[in-house]
Parts: sequence; C-alpha cells; structure tokens
Amino acid sequence: MTAVETGRHHTSYRSELRLWHTRPQIIRMAVLAVIVLTLPLVLDNYWLSLANTAMIAAIGAIGLNILVGYTGQISLGQGGFLAVGAFTSAILTDRLGMPAPLSIIGAVVLTAAVGVIVGLPALRLKGLYLAIATLASQMVILFIVRRWGFLTEGQGFLDVARLEVFGFRLDRANFEQQWYMILLVLTVLAALTATNLFRTGMGRSFMAVRDQDIAASAMGVNLTRAKLTAFAVSNGYVGLAGALLAHYTEILSWEKFTIDVSILYLAMIIVGGLGSVAGAVYGAVFMTVLPVVVRSIADVLGGAVPIIKNQLPAVEHGVFGLTIIIFLIFEPRGLNRIWQRLKDWFGFWPFRY
Amino acid sequence: MKHSRHLSAAALTAVAALTLAACGGGGATSADSDEPIPIGVIADLSGATGDVGTPYNEGMLAYVEHINADGGIEGREIDAISNDYAYEVPQAEELYRRYVNDEVVAIQGWGTGDTEALRTRVANDELPFMSGSFSEDLTDPEESPYNFLVAATYSDQIRAALNWIAEQSDGEEVGVAALHHDSPFGTSPVGDGEEWVEEQGLAIDYSSHAMPSGTTNFAGLLSQVDDAEYIIIQNVASPAAQLARDLAAQGGDQTIVCLNWCGNELFVTAAGDAAEGHVMVQPIAPVSTERPGHEELLAYLEEQGTDPADVTVSYVQGWYAMHVMAEGIRHTLAAGEDLTGAAIRESLETMGPIDTGGVIGDGTVEFSADSHRGSTTSGLYEVKDGQLVVLEEAVNP
Amino acid sequence: MSTFVTLLIIGLSEGAILALAALGFVLIYKATGVINFAQGEFLLIGAYSFYTAFVVMQLPIIVALLVGVLVAVIVGVVVERFILRPMVGQSHISIIMVTIGLASVLSAIVQMFFGTNPRSMPAILPRGSVSILGGTVPVNRLWAIVLCAVVLILLTWFFQKSRHGVAMRAVADDQQAAMTVGISVRRVFALSWALAAVSALIAGVTLADVTTVEMNIVNFGLLVFPVVIMGGLDSVPGTIVGGLTIGLVSQFVSGYMDPGLAEIVPYIVLVLVLLVRPYGVFGEKRIERV
Repeated sequence: MTAVETGRHHTSYRSELRLWHTRPQIIRMAVLAVIVLTLPLVLDNYWLSLANTAMIAAIGAIGLNILVGYTGQISLGQGGFLAVGAFTSAILTDRLGMPAPLSIIGAVVLTAAVGVIVGLPALRLKGLYLAIATLASQMVILFIVRRWGFLTEGQGFLDVARLEVFGFRLDRANFEQQWYMILLVLTVLAALTATNLFRTGMGRSFMAVRDQDIAASAMGVNLTRAKLTAFAVSNGYVGLAGALLAHYTEILSWEKFTIDVSILYLAMIIVGGLGSVAGAVYGAVFMTVLPVVVRSIADVLGGAVPIIKNQLPAVEHGVFGLTIIIFLIFEPRGLNRIWQRLKDWFGFWPFRY
Repeated sequence: MKHSRHLSAAALTAVAALTLAACGGGGATSADSDEPIPIGVIADLSGATGDVGTPYNEGMLAYVEHINADGGIEGREIDAISNDYAYEVPQAEELYRRYVNDEVVAIQGWGTGDTEALRTRVANDELPFMSGSFSEDLTDPEESPYNFLVAATYSDQIRAALNWIAEQSDGEEVGVAALHHDSPFGTSPVGDGEEWVEEQGLAIDYSSHAMPSGTTNFAGLLSQVDDAEYIIIQNVASPAAQLARDLAAQGGDQTIVCLNWCGNELFVTAAGDAAEGHVMVQPIAPVSTERPGHEELLAYLEEQGTDPADVTVSYVQGWYAMHVMAEGIRHTLAAGEDLTGAAIRESLETMGPIDTGGVIGDGTVEFSADSHRGSTTSGLYEVKDGQLVVLEEAVNP
Repeated sequence: MSTFVTLLIIGLSEGAILALAALGFVLIYKATGVINFAQGEFLLIGAYSFYTAFVVMQLPIIVALLVGVLVAVIVGVVVERFILRPMVGQSHISIIMVTIGLASVLSAIVQMFFGTNPRSMPAILPRGSVSILGGTVPVNRLWAIVLCAVVLILLTWFFQKSRHGVAMRAVADDQQAAMTVGISVRRVFALSWALAAVSALIAGVTLADVTTVEMNIVNFGLLVFPVVIMGGLDSVPGTIVGGLTIGLVSQFVSGYMDPGLAEIVPYIVLVLVLLVRPYGVFGEKRIERV
C-alpha cells in the first residue's frame, strides 16, 4: 500500500468522479480534518488570527491561481481587485444595510465584473504587455481608492461594523474562534469548487488557453469566452477574499491594497506551486507565517547581529525576495512539488524511484 | 506493512494534536502586584515618517529607562514593548494584535492612519491609546473613547497658523495653499482649516493640494500654488524640506508655515539655507527655549553622554508623551485601583492638569470626560540663522 | 508662459532620466529576453553606491563615479550569472517573479544599510537658476538633460558601430545564428546586464542630484514600464521618445491639473496605447508559431 498509485482503474462512473481515490489519500484528509478542527482549541488568539489571515489569503491565492496558473494570464492587479471586493462589501453592509452574506455575494459579483472589464485588453495582449496592463489597473484602482471621497466618506479609511449574520453577532471574546470556523468552511468550499472547476470542460479550456492558445482556438475553444470567464471566475474568488478581509479586519485603508500586496499574492502561488489548488493554499500559509518566523529568528540572532533587529522591516522584505528567488531557482514547481516528492520518497523507499 | 502504516498515521495524529504552548501573561493587572507594567509601543523607525518617528521613539524609551532607574511607577517598572511598523497600517494592526495577546495595559501609537484605523478595536479592548497623531477626529470621546492626544490637534495648529497669517496681512486678502501628505495624516487639518477661514471671516483665499508621496519632484505642485503668499505644510520634515529647496531653486518667495511634524530641527537641517525665514507651528517647546521641563531630560542626556544640541523636538515630544501616560498610571496605582485600561482612562479623565514643566502647549495637559484633547496651545517660531527663534509664545485658536 | 517653460524643462529632464533608465531595461530585454522588474532598484543601488563613495568615503568625484560603475558592473554580472542563468528556459511568469524577488532583496539591502531617511549630497551639477522666456529654470535640470542626452547618444553609437554593440544586436536577433558565427552569447548576456546597471547608475546619480538620495528613487523603476511599452520593447529610439513623452505628460498634468493624477497618467496613457497598438508604438508584431 504505497503513496504512489499504479494507475487508477475505475469500474463505475461513480468511482471516477470521486475526489480522492486511494486509501492513504482519504486517511491523510481525515488526519488533516482532525488537526484543523482542533486548532482553535489549542492555539492562542494571536496564532488564530494568523490562521485566519492565512485562510483569507488562501481564498485570494486560489483565485489568482485560476488566472495565472491555470489560464496563463499574468496579473499584477490583485491588490486592486481585493480593494474592489472589500469596499463593495463594506459599503453594502454599512451604508445600504444589506445583510452580510448578501453584500459578500454582491462584492463577489462586482469584482468579477471589474475583472472582466480589466480582462478585455487581455484578449489582445500577451505576456509582459498583459502584465503591464494589469499593473496599470492596479495603479488606477488604488488611485481611485485613495482619492474618491465617497468610498471612505472623506476620512481616508473605512470602519466596518462587526459581522452580523441573521441576527447572530460575533462577540469580542470568541472573535478569532468564530471567524476561524466561518473561514474554514468558506476556504474548504473555495478549494473544492476550484478543484472541481478543473474537472469540467470550462476548466480544461482554461488550461488549453495556457498551453497553446492558438492551437486551442483552432480546436474550437472560444478564446474570448475562455479568457473572460477566467478573469471573471478568478476575480470572483478575489472579491470574496476582499469582502472577508473587510469584515474580518473591520478597517479598510488604501495601504492594504498596494502593489506589494499583488506581488505577495503572486509570490504565494509561485512558492506554493503554480497550477494547483493545494499549492495556492500551501503558499498562502507559508507566506503568512514567514514574517513571524523571520521575527523569531531575528529575536534569537539579534544579539549577535544588531542590524537585523534594527531594520526588521527591511530584513523581512529581503527574506521575502530571497525566498522567491530560492524557490524559483531550486524548486520552480513550489511547495506542492516538494510535498509530492516527499510522498514519493516514502512511497518508493527503499527504492530511489 | 499495512499495520505499521496505520500505526504511524495514528501516531502522527497524536503528535499533531499536541498543544502549542500558549503562555498566558496574567498578574500584571492586579493592584498590588510587583510585576512590570507592560505598555505596547508602535513606532515608525524605518518607514515614510521614520525621520521624526525615530527620535520620538528614542525619547519615549529614554523616559522609560529614566523612570525605571528611579524605581519605576509606585515601585513597578515599565516594560515598554516597542516595535517598528514602518508606517504600514497592516503591520500596525498585527503589532496591535500581538500586544493585546501580550496583555498590555496601554498603547503608545504613532501615525494618524493606524491610530484612526485601530480606534474601534482599542475601544472594544479598553486600552488607552496615546499617539503621535494629533488628528482632531481622535479627540471626541464619543467616537474614540480610548484615544488621548497630549498636544494641540493639527486642526488647532492650522487655525493658529491661519490667525497669524491673517494678522500679518492686516486685512488684505492673501492666498494660502495648504500642502499636505497624501494620507489621513495629511488631510486631517485641511478641511478644518477651510471651515475656520469661513467661520472667522478671514481674508484668506484658501486652497489645498496633496503632496504626492512617491516622488520628490514638487515642481508641478509649486507652479500650481505660485499665486499664494503663504504655504502651510502638513507633512513630515523630509518632503517639506525638499519642497522648501525646490521653492528656493525656482526663486519663489512664499513663506512656508510648517505644522508640528515638519516644524522641527530636522526641517532646518535638511533644507539648509532654504529654511531661512519660514515659520513653524510647534506645540512642543524645543530644547532651545530652555523651559523648566527640559532640565530633567537634559540631565538624563548628560548622564548618557549625548550632546543636547542633537536633541530634536520630536525626542522631547516622545519623552513627554510617555510622561503623561506614566502620570496617568501613577494616579491609578496610587488610588489603589487595579491596573486595567479602563481604570487608566478614568484616571486620565479625572486627574486634572498634568504638569509638563512648560514643555507641552502652555505647560499643562488636561483631559476630561468630554474632551481627550490635552492642550490647545502652540508656539510659533521662525527659522533665523538655522535656529528656531520664538515668534509668539502661546497661541490658541 | 513662464510656468510652461519651467514645466517643459523639468519634464524634459525627468523624461531624459527616465529614457536612460528604460534603455537599460530594453538592453536586457533585447539581448536576453528577460523582463527586469528590478530596474528601479538598479537605479537605487547606483545612487547609493555613488553616495557612499562620494560622501561617506569622501573620494573625489571621478573616483566615486568609477566606484559606482564598478559596483554596477559587478551587480549586473552577478545577477546574470547566479540568478538569471539558472532560470534559462523557464516560463515568462517565473522569470518575472525572479526579478521581482531580486528587486525586493536589493531594496531591502539598501534600506538595511542606509535607512529610509533621505540623504543629502553635495551638488555635482551646478546649482542656481536661470531665466528662460520668463520662466525660472533650475540649471541642474538643464545639465541633466544634456548629460542624459550625451549618454543616450553614446549608447546608440555603441550599438550601431562598435563590435560589442553589433554582437549584442546579433544575439538579440537570433541567438543560434550568433553562436554559429562565434559570438560568445554568455559574454553578451553579462555585458548587457552590466551596461544596463551602468546606465541605471548614471540615471540614478543624476536623479539623486536633482532631487535627493532616498528610497523613492525606486518608483522610477515602475515608470519604466509605460515608457518601454510606448516605445516598443525592441526599439531604442522608441524608448527615448517614450521616455520624453511620459516625462513631459506627467509634468504637465502635475503642473496644470492634479499632482497626484500625474502619478497614474503614464499608466492611463499606456493602456490607451495598448488598446490601439498591442505591441507598443514602435514595436514589431510578434509572430507566434504553434
């Protein structure tokens, strides 16, 4: 019973449609479920808040991965789309009095629409040109967020009221724990729908566009529809992440949506592994925990090398860049591939391959 | 093979379920404990406002060291947990969460953006929050019940500046351009300045522009304001100094009126000759004015071997900001209360005037249940020969 | 009228510096096909290394410049050898991300050693101002235009006439063919990165001189993209035109409309250009084979 299958032999349609096929896979998922469900009982509030931030980032990363990893369209506009989702949801909830779930859905829809608008130039552009066009969208959206007084009622930032779902208000004492549960459900749903998306025809057409778009269109894939749908779906996820960000952090200001955020998300999916949903989640968790690790190491080394402690933000920034470079040079397929190799090693042992 | 795999899976689960040690802090809140008093400090050392943020933080930590050397507050030392957030609001939020986790009793914050961003959290968590931000929005106890400002708000400062300008022009209409940092910190006094001009019927033609933050090219901005006689700058020292230099290079003759974050020695040093003749609104008295409150600070510096000439007004500000908070804590402990955030807030609101030896505003800082604005007084200074010379001692809007 | 002249000259000087910085980017792209997101950081390193040599170590200006050039060349060659060489053949997005990572590392290093406080540098270009057609124009801006123009002309001549320049163009055209005639592609790669770093050095030092030595110099790096897109990634004259245009447009918007808007106007112009000409104003249409 190894971690490596010798081929999947299905005898019914039902078994082919299953997400997890082998016993070890199911056991691993069960173990993961147990760990994940017991975490809120075990971690203190600070670590729970990190977990929550990581989960929101995971949803956003899954979205970005759909666009970049599966459809091959480079996007530097993540920060801007997060902003669209966040402000939409916040304004719908607080100013129009819509119930939170509805305003979150509204945010998802609006961000998807904005994504389609930004994606329109994508139909004609490739590679660097597309990347720069999305960079332009990021800059323009950020500018609007900074200057459009309507968004923040002139204050420069937006307060969001505590989340209230069908009369059930989140309370202060268990804030992190309650959010953990909500986010856990949403992240699992996001991951499942994304995985399933790529078992459908639409999802496969995205991958065809990534691999050889001209050949795909010769085969009958409607390029316009595929690309625009990819932009819409991907930004829907990002809009969800943005809306959750608004309700979770309860405070919105333009600093949360700068180009550095876009780069952070790109780093998440690169480090995690392009083109895999699990990779996006790994990358999100890794990048969220990285600054904390750097800080702990700095605390330890601080005595010997004082410059690290004095310039901690610069060091965090540098480590971030270094991580990207090291992953790209040594393991371009990211954490996902490292995990697979680990499983394979256990599986093949004592053989090499 | 099968069994060992199942066993190892079970073992893995067990290991994974082990608790991460979460140390609780506890104990510091009790009235008669001896534990150090934890105070969280959010500082900008390497970010956009780091040029003034660094001396502010240094002054604050110096005060803590000084107090601890003298036995602390009612025998308890202050444990100042200070971290750099580089003027990034998300980082400030993270630090805040950490401090709450570390069970601090009060927080010394910094920037307008993050202070305003955290104020509802701070109110929910009942933590008194003093900041380097003097934004008027933070003084209303209804909206920001736990925020305290030790000195005159930016809006008060701009009002004082506008009054002075109106005086100088003797009733004739002058053009005033308010140039500000492109952030809540910058826009804070701008609207209030415009309202003041209308309310008071001042003969001022008021306009305002944001100074773009990613650039040092202010030529375009300056050409937009060359019909104004006075330029009020709400920004930190470095961009303001750059603007002053560009102004001098373009041969402009406007007078710059700096509000407190650029009205300091850093502006003078960075702008060099271009700083001459400009006016500063500064609620904190610089060391050159030799107020009684400066003596303790200078004595401490001498012990440390630092040259008092290197001390900027931001350092003094940091020192006294921590002093006001320490006095509030002292009042709480002296009254035998438990050291909680709510109790400290109560003390600050009811203890009456806190003496700062003539350094902040008109010398005393006083809070009340209706107003968390400690003082409304500022001093006006002019830059002469590279020094800050007093123009008017104490102005109130 | 006077504002117009001032804005014109300042806009031209910003544009010239931008064109020089963008030229480095185009150099790298033409020769190696790599999109260098770290161009702004090269400017930064150039400015700060010159600052260290000139102000901190108090070396005479020529020596300081040589030190700056040396540092730039070393950085360029090291980056090419150790970071870009292992990435040969990887996808577009990987290469872009590697240069983004590099940008973070470089700016973090500068920030660690120099902090974010702006540093002042004694003037290299003559200060003072001169009156032209009624407008007051800072003299150092005029000098900046002249200096950048000279460097740009030198570089253009280098590409057209000198052996190494021609070799670089050969490699940019067709790597395999260039190797066949005996051109060392590796050396050309290293040379192009080194030259890009040196042009970034000159641009960075000039920028630092007309403004100040601080971290904001990095933002010029992002502005390079609208410039090269406008000019077309392959074309040197296109880059120069693109740089001057963007510099002038930004400056005029800043002077006559909203200075904040001036920051994003290059991007708006960029999108408009791309909608009409997806390969840039001067670029050539890429033919894809399936």
